[in-house]
Amino acid sequence: MFEPYFLHQKGKLFVYINVEQNLQKLFKQAAYHPESRLSGDVWTAIEVKKAQITKRKKFGYLSLSVLSLSGSVFSIKSLIGELIRLGFFDYFSLAFSDSGVIATYWKEYTLSLADSLPVASLALSFFLLFVLFISIRRASYQFKNKLSIA
Amino acid sequence: MENSDELKIKEYLLGNEEVFKELVYKYTPSIFNFSARFVGVDYANDIVQDVFIKVWKNIKKFDYNKASFKTWIFTIARNTVTDYLRKKKMINFSALDKEEESFADNIEDDVVLPDEALIKLEDKEFLNKLLDEIPTNYKEVLVLYYQEDMTFKEIGELLGKPLNTVKSHHHRALTILREMLK
Repeated sequence: MFEPYFLHQKGKLFVYINVEQNLQKLFKQAAYHPESRLSGDVWTAIEVKKAQITKRKKFGYLSLSVLSLSGSVFSIKSLIGELIRLGFFDYFSLAFSDSGVIATYWKEYTLSLADSLPVASLALSFFLLFVLFISIRRASYQFKNKLSIA
Repeated sequence: MENSDELKIKEYLLGNEEVFKELVYKYTPSIFNFSARFVGVDYANDIVQDVFIKVWKNIKKFDYNKASFKTWIFTIARNTVTDYLRKKKMINFSALDKEEESFADNIEDDVVLPDEALIKLEDKEFLNKLLDEIPTNYKEVLVLYYQEDMTFKEIGELLGKPLNTVKSHHHRALTILREMLK
C-alpha cells in the first residue's frame, strides 16, 4: 500500500520525508481561490431566492384565502337552506319549548335531529372554514417575513 | 457528536439567519476550489451559488447523525457538479468505477512519489495542469484528501463507496501522477 514516508539523502544526512504532509502543502498552494465578493454574492442570491419564494407563498395563500372565503360563504348559505328544508331548526326549537317530551323520547329525538343534519354540506363548510383559517394563518406568517425555508 | 457547524444549523433553524451567512462565508472557498477542479474556474461561481441555494432549501433535511455538515455540503457540491458535467456531456464521476474495482486487487507495494516528483509538483501551475489530466473519480479523492483534509472514511461516505475503493482510488491517482511526472 501507500508508503507515507521515504528516506531522502541531503548531503551526508539521510532524512525521512513525509509524502502526505508535502502533498497536502503542495495541493493547498495550488488551490483555486474565489473572488472575495463571491460569498457576499451567494448570500445575496439566497436572499433573492427567499424573497421570490416568500412572494409566491404570499400570493398562493392569499388566493387560497379568497377562494376558501367565497366557498365558505356559498357552502354556509347552502347549509342553512338544507337545515331549513330538512327541518333541523324545527326539531331544535322543540328542545326549548317542550322539554318534558324530549326527556321521555330523547332517543327518538336525537335520531330525528341527527337525521335532519345535511352531513355533506356540513362537512364541506367545515373543510372550507378550516382551509380559510390555515391559509390566513400562513399568509400572515409570510407577511411577517419570518424564517421561510422552502 | 455535534460540532460547531451542526450547532449553527440548529441556531439557524431557531431563527438566527446570521449563522447561515457564517456557514456560507466559511465554505465558499472550499466549494469553489472543489467545483473549479471539475468544471473550470469560469463556471465554478455558478456551481457555488447553486450548491448554497440547495443547502438553504434542504437544510431541514440535514441529519447530523448520518454525516457531518462538511460531508453533506460536499455531497451536494459533487451532485451539482455531476449534473453540470452530464448536461455538458462531459465524463461523469462513476465512469471508471468498474475499472477501479479490478485495480483494487492489484495494488503494488511501492513508494508512490519520490522526492524529485514532489519538487516538480511545487510548481502550482504544473500541478493544476496535471490534476486536470487525471480521471475525474481519482482527482476527486486527491482534492478531498489533500485540499479539504477529509479522511478516507469521510470521502467514502461522500462518494458512497467502500473505504478500500477510496484507498485504491487514492493510490491509483498517485500512481498516475508519478507516471505523468516521468
